[in-house]
Amino acid sequence: MTDYGHDLLFGVFATPVAQQARQVVDLAVTADRAGLDLVSFQDHPYQPSFLDTSTLLAFTAARTERIHVNANVASLPLRPPAVLARAAASLDILSGGRFALGIGAGAFWDGIAAMGGRRLSAAQGVTALGEGIEIIREIWDTDATGAVNYDGRYYSVKGARRGPRPAHDIPIWVGAYKPKMLALTGGVGDGWLPTIEYLPRGADSLPELNARIDAAAHDAGRDPAAVRRLMNFMNVQFSSAPRGLLNGPSEAWVDQIAELALGHGVSAFIIGGDDPSMTQRFGAEIAPAVRAIVERERRPAAPDRTQGEA
Amino acid sequence: MVMEIGIALDVSRLAHAPQETVALARLAEERGLDLVVVTDGTAQRTTGLDPWTAAVWLAGSTSRITIGAPAGGTSPPDPTDPEAPYPKVQAKAEDSLDILAPGRIISNPAGWVVAPPDAKPEDLAGAAESDLPVVVPVHSREDVERLAALVAGRDDRAGVRRRPAAVRAHRKPGIDYDGVPASLAETVVEPGDPPYRALSSTYLRGGGPGLVLRPRTPAEVSDAIGFARRHRHLPLGIRSAGHGISGRSTNRGGLVIDLGAMNTIEVVDPARRLVRTGPAATWKQVAAALAPHGWALGSGDYGGVGVGGLATAGGIGLLSRNHGLTIDHLRSVDLVLADGRQVQASREQHPELFWAVRGAGANFGIATSFEFEVDEVGEVGWAQLALVSTDIEQSLRRYGELASAAPRDTTVFLVTGQPRDGLSTVQLFAVVDNPDPDIVVARLTPFLELGMLARQQVVMTPYAGVMGSAADVGPDGQHGFGEPNSRSAFVPTLTPEFARDAAAMLRSGAVYFFELRAMGGAIADVAPDDTAFTHRTPAFQLAAMGQNDKRLTAVWEPLRRHFDGLYLSFETDRSPQRLLDAFPAPVLERLRALKRRYDPDNLFRDNFNIDPTGDPAAVQEARA
Repeated sequence: MTDYGHDLLFGVFATPVAQQARQVVDLAVTADRAGLDLVSFQDHPYQPSFLDTSTLLAFTAARTERIHVNANVASLPLRPPAVLARAAASLDILSGGRFALGIGAGAFWDGIAAMGGRRLSAAQGVTALGEGIEIIREIWDTDATGAVNYDGRYYSVKGARRGPRPAHDIPIWVGAYKPKMLALTGGVGDGWLPTIEYLPRGADSLPELNARIDAAAHDAGRDPAAVRRLMNFMNVQFSSAPRGLLNGPSEAWVDQIAELALGHGVSAFIIGGDDPSMTQRFGAEIAPAVRAIVERERRPAAPDRTQGEA
Repeated sequence: MVMEIGIALDVSRLAHAPQETVALARLAEERGLDLVVVTDGTAQRTTGLDPWTAAVWLAGSTSRITIGAPAGGTSPPDPTDPEAPYPKVQAKAEDSLDILAPGRIISNPAGWVVAPPDAKPEDLAGAAESDLPVVVPVHSREDVERLAALVAGRDDRAGVRRRPAAVRAHRKPGIDYDGVPASLAETVVEPGDPPYRALSSTYLRGGGPGLVLRPRTPAEVSDAIGFARRHRHLPLGIRSAGHGISGRSTNRGGLVIDLGAMNTIEVVDPARRLVRTGPAATWKQVAAALAPHGWALGSGDYGGVGVGGLATAGGIGLLSRNHGLTIDHLRSVDLVLADGRQVQASREQHPELFWAVRGAGANFGIATSFEFEVDEVGEVGWAQLALVSTDIEQSLRRYGELASAAPRDTTVFLVTGQPRDGLSTVQLFAVVDNPDPDIVVARLTPFLELGMLARQQVVMTPYAGVMGSAADVGPDGQHGFGEPNSRSAFVPTLTPEFARDAAAMLRSGAVYFFELRAMGGAIADVAPDDTAFTHRTPAFQLAAMGQNDKRLTAVWEPLRRHFDGLYLSFETDRSPQRLLDAFPAPVLERLRALKRRYDPDNLFRDNFNIDPTGDPAAVQEARA
C-alpha cells in the first residue's frame, strides 16, 4: 500500500477545440460550479484545430471563480521557460493563486519544428526540461538578488529580470513516462502527471513507476511525498455494468478511485470525455464519496501524522 | 467623427493591485467606454505582469469592451533564449483570443493612441485626429468616471454604427470598407466581425476573404456588383451554398458575394409544375419542398449542394438518366449582369444568354432566381451498397457494362478509393425511378456481382429521402481548409483499357476519391447545341480527387486518351487547355462573343473564366 497523504483533487481534461471554443469554456465553468478542483488543457501549438493553451488558460481562469487551471502539459520546446514562467506567475497573481504548471519535454517533433522550435532527442529533451525548470524557478524567485544568469546546454540567458512573483508556490507537475523523465520528476518535480492509457500496463505499472520517482526523490534528498501523483483518465464513461477502469456505475468509479488513492498514492484524478453531465456527476457524486472513504481509511492508518499536524 | 475612448492599465499596476485594477476595466465597460489597453511601462528590476496574459484575463473578465492586447515583438525565434517567444505560437495566441472574444481584440500596439493622464477633452479630440482610439492611463475609479463623463453625451449617430477599432484593425488592404453601399452595410461581414469565421471557408476550401457582401434582393446584388466593379484588382467569389470545387466561392483577401439569404422556394404554377428557387437553397431543401406535391427535380448526388452553382453548370444526378440534367428543366433565370442590370433570360428573352447560362453561367452574371419545370416523381428505390472487390479493374469494367445497359429508370454511381491489401471498397449509389420494390430489386441485383456485399441499405423513398442524408451547415459554417485537388473527365465509353488504366491510377494511392457517374438516357435526348453544356453523349462522368496536386496530375495524365471533355464542376486545374475540354472550340467562341457583350471587362472570373479578349487561335495552339 502506498499513500503519500495528499488531499485529493478532482478535475477535467477539456479538449481545446477552436471550433467549439464556447463549449470548451462552458465545460470549465461547469467544472467550477460542480466543485471540481482542476480544469486542464493539452498543449499542442502545432495542432491547427486547437486553441492556444496559454491563452485559453488565462481566459478560462478569468471566467471561473474557484477552480485551478493547468496545462496538461505545456510543451516546453515551444514555451520558452522565462516566457512560460512570467505568464504562469501573472495568471497566478490575477487568479489569486489558482494556477499550476503542468510541463513536459515535448513530443511530435515535426510539429514543433514546423512552429520554429528545435528538434531534440528524448534524452536531450529531458536535460532541456531540467534546465527549463531551473530557469522558471529562478524567474519566480524575487527574493534572490541580482538578475537571472543561466548558462546551460540548451538555454542560456544573461541578466534576465526576475518576477513577477507568483501569488502562491506554483507546483510544477511533470508529464513523464520513461526512466529519465521519471528520475527528473522525482528529483525536482512537485508532481507527476501522466495519462493512465499511456502507461505500459495501465494501473499495474504504478508500483514500478512510483518506485522510480521515489528512488530519484531519495537520491535528491527529498521526501517522495513531496511529489504529488496525478493521473489523467481519457476513456471514461458512466454505464450500468462495470466494464473497466472508470467505465461502469458510479459505485465502481468510487471504489476504483479510492483504491488508486490508498493503494497507489494517486491523489489527483482528471477525466477526459468533454461531457458536461459527466463533469457534474464527477463533482457531485464521485468526489465526495471518494473523499469520505479515503478520509476514513487514512485516519487509523496514519495516527502519527495526524497527531503531528494537530 | 465618433471618437473611441478608453483606459490604459499598466502591467506594473496590475501586478501590485490586481483585483482593484481589473475592477477599473469592469467599471470602464459599465460606463460605456470603448476599450481597455494593457501598457508595459515597467522600468524596474522586477517586471510587471506579462502583458498578454493580463490582456487575456481582462478579455475574460469583461464581455463587451474592446481589449488592446500588445503582442510581443516579432524577432526571429531563438530556441536557446528562454525569454524569446516563438512568433508562430504568438500568432496562434492572437488568433485564439480573437476566437474567444470575437470582434473585441486589437493586438497591434499601433492600434491606439495614449493620451497624457491629465488630458483635456480637446487634447483627446486632437489625439483622435489619427482615426485611432484614444486611451488615457488611469489609476482610480475617479479617473475612469472622469473619462466616462466625457463620453456620456457622445453623439452615437443614428443609422449604421461605425465598427469599433478592434474590428477595423482586421481590415485588409485595397478594400473601400467605408464605401460599402448603404443597402449592404447592415449585412456585410468584415474579417473582424464575429460572424466572419463561419463565412470564411467553404465545403472543401479554406479561405480568408477581405469582405463578405450579403445581398438579400436582386437590387442589393446589383449594388454588390457595383462595389465589386470598383475592386477589380481583387478576387471575386460568388457563393450560393459554398460547395463549389471549381468555383472559388472563397478567396484570400478578396470579395465574396454570398447569396445565402436568397434561398426561398415557391411553387409558381402548380398546373405546369413551375417552381421558383433562390440560388442559395440547397438541393436537400428543394427536394423536401417538392416532395409533398409528388414532384422532384434531379440535382447531383448530395443534398448539401446549392442550386446556384449546379443549375448554371449542368447537374448530372441520380435522376438524370430518366429526367435529364438539372439545366434541362430550367425555363427562365433572373440574372444581375456585370453592369448591374437585372434581366430575365429564357427561350424568349435573351435566348443567347439563356443558352450560355446553362453550362457556363458563372461567367455571365449572378443568378438571383431560377424557374424550373419539375417532374412528377413518385417513390424511388434508393440504394447505398458497399462491396469489397479483389479485382477493381474487373469491377470497373463490369460496372461500365451494367450501368450503361441498365434501363433509363436506373442510375448507378460508383465511388471507390485506393485499394488496401489488394481489396477495394466499391460504394454504389443508385436510384431506380420505379415505385415497384420488386423491379427495384431486379434492377439492382446484377450489380451485386461487382464484389462481395459488405453493407446494404435499400429503401423506397421520395427523392427527398435521397437528398436528405446531407448534413446541414451549422452556425459555425463550412469547415474546409486548404485547396481541393480535383479532376474531371467525360468517358465516352468505359473500355477495358480505361478500366485497366483507372485501376492502375487507384493503386498508385494518389487518388482518395474516385467517382463514376452514369450518364446516357434522357441526357442525350437534348441536342448538343441547345445548351452551353454540350457533352450529351458520354457514358460516364469521372471525378478524381487527390491530396497532392502534382501526384494527381501525374497519375491522371496517362488516362487522358480515354477522355473527351470535362465537367467543369469537378475540375480544379486552371490551365487554359482545360477551358477547351469544358467547351469545344466553336462553343467557346460563341461564349466568348457573348462574354464580350455581357461582361466585357471580365468581372465574373472565379469559375472557368472565359476571357472576353481571348484569342481563339491561341487556345487552339495551346491545345495542339
